[in-house]
Amino acid sequence: MPGAGEPEERGDFAGIVPEPVLGPFRRSVAWLDDRTGFTGLLHNALYEAVPKQGGWAYTLGSATLVVILVQFFTGIFLLLDYVPSPTEAYQSLLYLRTNDFFGDWIRGIHLWGAYVLMLLIGIHALRTFISASYKAPRELNWISGVMLFFLVLALAITGAMLPWDQASYWTAVVVTNIPHYLPVIGNGIRALWRGGNFVGPVTLTRTFALHVWVLPALLLGLIGAHLYLLRRHGEFGSWVNYETTTDNPEKEIAERIRHAEPPYPARGSQPKYAVPRETVDFFPDQVFKDTVVSLGLVVLIFVMAVLSGAPLDGPANPATLTYVPTPEWFYLPLDQLLVFFPTALIGFGVFVIVGIGATLMLALPFIDRNPERHPIRRPDVLVPAFFLIFTVIYLAMLGVNRLYNL
Amino acid sequence: MQLILTLNPTSIPGTVLTNTVAVGMVALLHVLFATFLIGSCTLVALSELISMVTHDERHERLARSLVHAWGYVFSTGAAIAIFFVVFILVGLWGRFFVTFQQFTFWVWFFEALTFVGEIVLLYVLYANWERMRRYRMARLGMVLLLNIDQWFQMFLIDVIASQMLTPTVQGATVNMGYVLQFLNPTNLPLTIHRTVGNIAWAGALVAFTAAFQYLRVTRRQEARALVPGRREPVRALGAMPEGELVRERNREAAYWDWAGQWGMLFAFGLTIVQIWVGYSYAKEIQLHSLDSWYQMMYGWISNIFLAQFAGLGLIFIFGVAYFWQRLKAAGQYVTARRHQIALILLILLWLFGIQPAWFAGSYPDIVAAHLAKPFWDGGLEDPLGFFFPWKVMVLIADMLIALYAVTSYVRARVRTPMTMGQATRGSQRLLISLAVMVGLMMLIMGIIRESSRSPYLVNQNIVINHQVILQQPAPNIPLSQRPIGP
Repeated sequence: MPGAGEPEERGDFAGIVPEPVLGPFRRSVAWLDDRTGFTGLLHNALYEAVPKQGGWAYTLGSATLVVILVQFFTGIFLLLDYVPSPTEAYQSLLYLRTNDFFGDWIRGIHLWGAYVLMLLIGIHALRTFISASYKAPRELNWISGVMLFFLVLALAITGAMLPWDQASYWTAVVVTNIPHYLPVIGNGIRALWRGGNFVGPVTLTRTFALHVWVLPALLLGLIGAHLYLLRRHGEFGSWVNYETTTDNPEKEIAERIRHAEPPYPARGSQPKYAVPRETVDFFPDQVFKDTVVSLGLVVLIFVMAVLSGAPLDGPANPATLTYVPTPEWFYLPLDQLLVFFPTALIGFGVFVIVGIGATLMLALPFIDRNPERHPIRRPDVLVPAFFLIFTVIYLAMLGVNRLYNL
Repeated sequence: MQLILTLNPTSIPGTVLTNTVAVGMVALLHVLFATFLIGSCTLVALSELISMVTHDERHERLARSLVHAWGYVFSTGAAIAIFFVVFILVGLWGRFFVTFQQFTFWVWFFEALTFVGEIVLLYVLYANWERMRRYRMARLGMVLLLNIDQWFQMFLIDVIASQMLTPTVQGATVNMGYVLQFLNPTNLPLTIHRTVGNIAWAGALVAFTAAFQYLRVTRRQEARALVPGRREPVRALGAMPEGELVRERNREAAYWDWAGQWGMLFAFGLTIVQIWVGYSYAKEIQLHSLDSWYQMMYGWISNIFLAQFAGLGLIFIFGVAYFWQRLKAAGQYVTARRHQIALILLILLWLFGIQPAWFAGSYPDIVAAHLAKPFWDGGLEDPLGFFFPWKVMVLIADMLIALYAVTSYVRARVRTPMTMGQATRGSQRLLISLAVMVGLMMLIMGIIRESSRSPYLVNQNIVINHQVILQQPAPNIPLSQRPIGP
């Protein structure tokens, strides 16, 4: 509270109290700050408390965001050359590869960025799952994260259909055919996506629209929501951040809550998990770790893009009888799962099994209501989850093996 | 296909038959030793790591006991392996073995190298386990190295086994390249199947030994209870005062109760995975070696396959019955009741699942006799016994119930700590039954896989009868020029 006679707002005395003399740059910053209040926002963004222990494990979210930004920027560069038409798409990428000096690198970065993004989101989700960070009050953080994962998967598959080479054409044939396994509305959705009964020019333009506009817009909205929720409840960290070290844990927890720095104590949380034992400022401690990991990944993506590039098959040929389409590696588990289903039950495999899996992922915070956070004390979710994770990894391995034995 | 029709098992001359029995018996015997070694090596690494982190003496003791057992198990298993190669493979199946080794030479060579590595690491650990206690990280490091060595050894022998069942290039006997041999269609599922199976088998043997010891220890306690004041013979635990003797026995009972449960969790938990992995293995065989798959599912081996199916169900029944008994003994009646319901469901599923689709020895015989129709129409078929969809549904239900049972048991254990040493003797007999069934499953699986190639030793390449080679070896292409891709 301001003392007696002290001004509540500096602005109240504008024109009465002389302004300090500033240089032109600082004056510009002050003017901008006066109009927008951005330094306050920046201060809030940088100087929030985050758990001290295990900071390297909490870099995965920031790294994911950085790789998504890389995807946005490389995507914009690709848009400068790419033409979404069956007659031009392949040629435009060929031009990009042969005539644009960095074109092939940019495409390689976009492809390897997508691959790294898949892995990152998977590891980020696994870390969040094992540390039980999805529990109250962070249920919506988890749900928005899962939806982001689904969106990235959708972006990846629509992106794979755009080059209009053999691989992408046959991917389009297979993927746009999937909805027809849905009863009643399946054929309608397929026709809507394809723009008719067959894959053609309309399919490409509609997929292009999905890839560059609809899905990114949803992605940005969800990223915003995810970050807002993260800032509202603070980074949970993991169980190690909440261990008590004294003989009187209740008193220790009460002390922590009393001295908590924003955004802690987390609203709606159990007292034990409301405030981490030790915290540091997001800047510079956590920002440094985030930067190291993100930079490392960007370098990895760049190196892979230069060394391996992005493949481009021959131009799409709907009349071919010999081409065997193979899915991207992140769809191998699903593809391999469908191998085990009789033809009549493929729809069941695609929608019911995958639907159950997606629902379980989304509903996890409401299924696992055990207040414990330590993984050893949560076997009721850990045991089935590791069974599922084993199944997914094993299916992927079988899928790779199958590609060598086609 | 003509060969299959003319060289059915009944027309194999006596010498081939006796040789087949010999190779089967010795190989299966060797497998029981070797798989335990590999699986237990992983259990030792795990227990050693846990004891280092938590200072749990039970894990330390278990790791020590297993390492001590290695000396006997390895020497016996290795002697059988040497006998197998020298007398059975070279002596009885020489033509096949030499031909096969020509195009899998380097696989065998590295297999032999891993054997050397195994001898070095295993005997050093065996002889110096106690002395190395001061250097636990180094000891753990050596155990991990031994794990790598042994799992690689298993992987290599899987290359051989899967190559015999589903050669990478059908009809091409030799020189398809080693990379393609490694990537042959069934190598991966077989490797995962065996990886999981070996750990389950090691866990089952731990459970078996622990249950046996628990019964031994508690039998004496029961005898004491029956005859009050009777003095126990003290030779088993040394000359101890009676009170100390009782305390020691209680400690022993607690340890064996815990060890049995620990081993059982691996035996039971990993068998759940085996349903899924085994199904994928069978699918790959169907896709790449249809004749063998047909023999397994519809030929004379289908009866053995049904026995395996029944055995699998029994493992789950024994396991859940153990959970039920153990929870009841610990006073967790609500969870025990849930396991009781799960047990009833498993028994009903088992009864449903073990119905054979037919009762004759050979499906073609039934077809020839026009009896391939439901039994209520005068035929021999029982449509409820078909693998699709009934047995598949039973397997899925078994898997889900077993997953629920093990999860629920572990949760109960975590939330309310159990006092060890309170297990009933009946629950220990269930552990022994479960372990025996796991061992039998290993044997039956081996018989099924190795018999499914008949009349071939290497599918489409070498015929079992007189070890006839169907093709001449192709010219020897240098390794560097061999194809490495599909």
